[in-house]
Amino acid sequence: MIFIKKHIPLFICFFVGVLTLGSYYVPNARSENYLEMMNKWENIVAGFAFLLGLMSLFYSHFHKISRKAPGWGYSLFVYVGFLLVVVPAIVSNGQPMSLTNEMTSLGWIYRFVFTSLSGTMFAVLAFYIVSTAYRAFRIKSPQAFVLFAAAFIVILGRVPLGQMMWDGLLGWTGYQVTDVIEWLMSVPVVAGRRGIMIGIAIGGIVTALKIIFGIERQYMGKD
Amino acid sequence: MKRPPIIPLILPFLFLTSPSSAAKPSPLPPLTGFTAADMPGDAGGAALLRWDSPGEAAEGAAIEVYASDTAKPGWVKIAEFPASAHPEKDMDLPFWAWRAAPGRHALAADTSSAFGRPDGSQEIEFKLRLVKGAVSSETDPVKAVINGNWFNASRLNNLVLMLTIVVVFFWTVSHAKRKGLFIRRIAGLDAIDEAIGRATEMGRPIYYSTGIGSMSMVPTIASTSILGEVARKVAQYDTSLKVPHFDPIVMTVCKEVVKQSYLEMERPDSYRDDTNFFVSQDQFSFAASVDAMIHREKPAACFFIGHFMAESLLLAEVGATTGAIQIAGTEQESQLPFFFTSCDYTLIGEELYAAGAYLSKEPMLMSTLKVQDFGKAFVMLAVVTGSVLLAAGAVFSWEPLMRIVGQLFKAY
Amino acid sequence: MKNALEKFLKIDRRLIFLALTVLLFAPIVRPLGLPNKNLGKDVVNVYNYIENLPERSFVMLSLDYDPATRPELHPQAVALIKHALRRNLRVGIFTLNAGATGMIEDIAARIPSDIAPDKVYGRDYVIMPFQPNPVAVMTQLGINIYEIYDKDRNGNPTKDMEVMKGVKSVKDMGLGICITGTAMLDYYVAYVADKYKFPMAGGVTAVSQPGYGPYLQTGQLKGLIGGMKGAADYETLIKDLEKGTSGIDALSLAHVLVIVLIVTSNIIMLVLKYL
Repeated sequence: MIFIKKHIPLFICFFVGVLTLGSYYVPNARSENYLEMMNKWENIVAGFAFLLGLMSLFYSHFHKISRKAPGWGYSLFVYVGFLLVVVPAIVSNGQPMSLTNEMTSLGWIYRFVFTSLSGTMFAVLAFYIVSTAYRAFRIKSPQAFVLFAAAFIVILGRVPLGQMMWDGLLGWTGYQVTDVIEWLMSVPVVAGRRGIMIGIAIGGIVTALKIIFGIERQYMGKD
Repeated sequence: MKRPPIIPLILPFLFLTSPSSAAKPSPLPPLTGFTAADMPGDAGGAALLRWDSPGEAAEGAAIEVYASDTAKPGWVKIAEFPASAHPEKDMDLPFWAWRAAPGRHALAADTSSAFGRPDGSQEIEFKLRLVKGAVSSETDPVKAVINGNWFNASRLNNLVLMLTIVVVFFWTVSHAKRKGLFIRRIAGLDAIDEAIGRATEMGRPIYYSTGIGSMSMVPTIASTSILGEVARKVAQYDTSLKVPHFDPIVMTVCKEVVKQSYLEMERPDSYRDDTNFFVSQDQFSFAASVDAMIHREKPAACFFIGHFMAESLLLAEVGATTGAIQIAGTEQESQLPFFFTSCDYTLIGEELYAAGAYLSKEPMLMSTLKVQDFGKAFVMLAVVTGSVLLAAGAVFSWEPLMRIVGQLFKAY
Repeated sequence: MKNALEKFLKIDRRLIFLALTVLLFAPIVRPLGLPNKNLGKDVVNVYNYIENLPERSFVMLSLDYDPATRPELHPQAVALIKHALRRNLRVGIFTLNAGATGMIEDIAARIPSDIAPDKVYGRDYVIMPFQPNPVAVMTQLGINIYEIYDKDRNGNPTKDMEVMKGVKSVKDMGLGICITGTAMLDYYVAYVADKYKFPMAGGVTAVSQPGYGPYLQTGQLKGLIGGMKGAADYETLIKDLEKGTSGIDALSLAHVLVIVLIVTSNIIMLVLKYL
């Protein structure tokens, strides 16, 4: 039993990991076909896994409704929302526009419900960013001052009104705010980003090696 | 006085200036030294064509490349460029895979557009035509067998580096000591105990999000390791844990991880299957749902560890408004500022990957942290050395040195 | 006074939200008409690249954004399509994001009506269907696009279309532009631009824009349009002001509010320190 639950998964992980790693150095068409096959398998597994997720979703919300747990009304809406989108999708045959270029019910739901709700959630970010900025850019140390100064220049210089304000107050220096922003973005920001990217890449390599060689086995569950 | 005969005198001049007797344009010298071979280190569908430099006589001329599949004959023009283009020294290959000969030209001719790229080998004929205005000259056709290669020599530098890292990896693992390795304090990971203790005292749940990445992403894998450690402590203190998921595959893996943790702490009775549940595979639907849950249930602690994009601030801000202690970590640099401002503790990039070792204190996992340090030390040394060498090359005009250093650190 | 200042420092965030709402709503009702003079260098690079393409060159436009990022990215897409079609270039619209299909329908309806009424589908532009599995698609784009895109989104064969004449892979295209709110542009750079030496540009959200600095510096990206400001810059360049520009007034006021808030909070902190 241990052989099936431990050794075989470890071997599959090692074999596929080494093969995929090696395919980077092998330019042959067979190597490309292998990578394509792996991608396709991943997509197929993801498709079936989605069914699994859907069942888990319905199961957990059904339990909430049957037990009348706090907030069970929201669980009811999961089913209502699901039907509201799936039924029009089936009726419209998956097409947002009909052959006569008229919006189908799926197209209507997509445009006036899904698009609006998604846009709203993304727009909420703007409000949160403003309230976070109010809390975050407080000068409590020299490093915080540097952060404040950089943020001030970038926020000011990104919009026409800010550029006009800069020209009015500091135009005499001969430097446009966009020049300063370009320097900030090209030099310190890129340097910092590259440093973090390098650290992340190395960490990623070591984590991947740990998994390929079976040292990290958390994901497998019980040994 | 008799007038001199004009027509007989004019005629010879007319004859000399007539088009048929005009000086013929000098013929173009044909291209010499033309060879064709399979392009090394590719997947097939390209040939390496080389020829001698045409010289000054071909100034202003163009070269046309023709190819013909011997299985289905018929010449097809596959490239055209000025005669002075493509000197061998401009070939985009590193010095260990390519020796540029002076006075020669080379072209990686793509044949896949014209003849496709079959799995096996292809025999293709090539010829070059030198064209200048109305005059042209052609080389004799040359055959080449084109096929996919088994090793891309241009990536040798990458392979050597990768093998070195693997060797260092095995060395550190084989020298894993029982005694603990020194790791600097990572505040975010030390605070996990504090967060779980707070949740236990307040009797409120803990929310743990693995982000919106798939199981093939390294940050998600790192997050499942941390979830395993968190679940162990949660099992020990019998606190409520909720793990909403974006990806069903990650949900399945995390179910096993959490179950395993409860079994190891000998608390199988406390384990609940609905600890891990699927929410949505749409980014903002996931964020809206988790926000609503956090807002209603007011957890004592929130963990946001994994791959996050724009929903990071949505989740972190709502958690902050409920007064939860928040620990976050992601590899996305663009989201780190949002986590920094809204969360109590943030793990930056590689701290996420060290977390599994840091929390479990397992000697083998901790020893692999040395490999990360080795990697970083190598990069720092390479940056300094490479910069010094390139600067020296630029100052003293040592072009070969600059070329070698540039190619050594380039990803082909 | 000290109490009042401390209260202001801990102001209820809902008041900040209200102030922001008013400042965002007002310019929509009554536009300020602020001039957009300082154009981003990376946006100008994209514009110049398209301007310098020979006529009838093929431009691949990959629209990979979903409805959430529509306000920032859709104006960029519309401006680029307008520019490309007016320069008499051939345009191929692709997508690797299922959520983008609705936006593409919107563009498809607008091209014959107001974007470029003189352009003919199949001769000047084509719209390809959504394809899953981005990596596999990108690999095929460099070899033979008809292996994946043998039919357009309406089911018509693409190989014999006039717009696809002479185009077998990205090597036959003049430029590729990916407009995305995800990491799709990184994939395009790695799997298409670098691999096949194909010129690539991008359109991204403002928050992702700084992250592409390394690609711009190494020339892997020929240019980048960032956020709504980038869309406004591009609309200014093509002299056709639309949704991108109309949002700039609101964006300006929001930025000024943030500056006022952070400067005020720091002044209050300073005053409280010495009170």
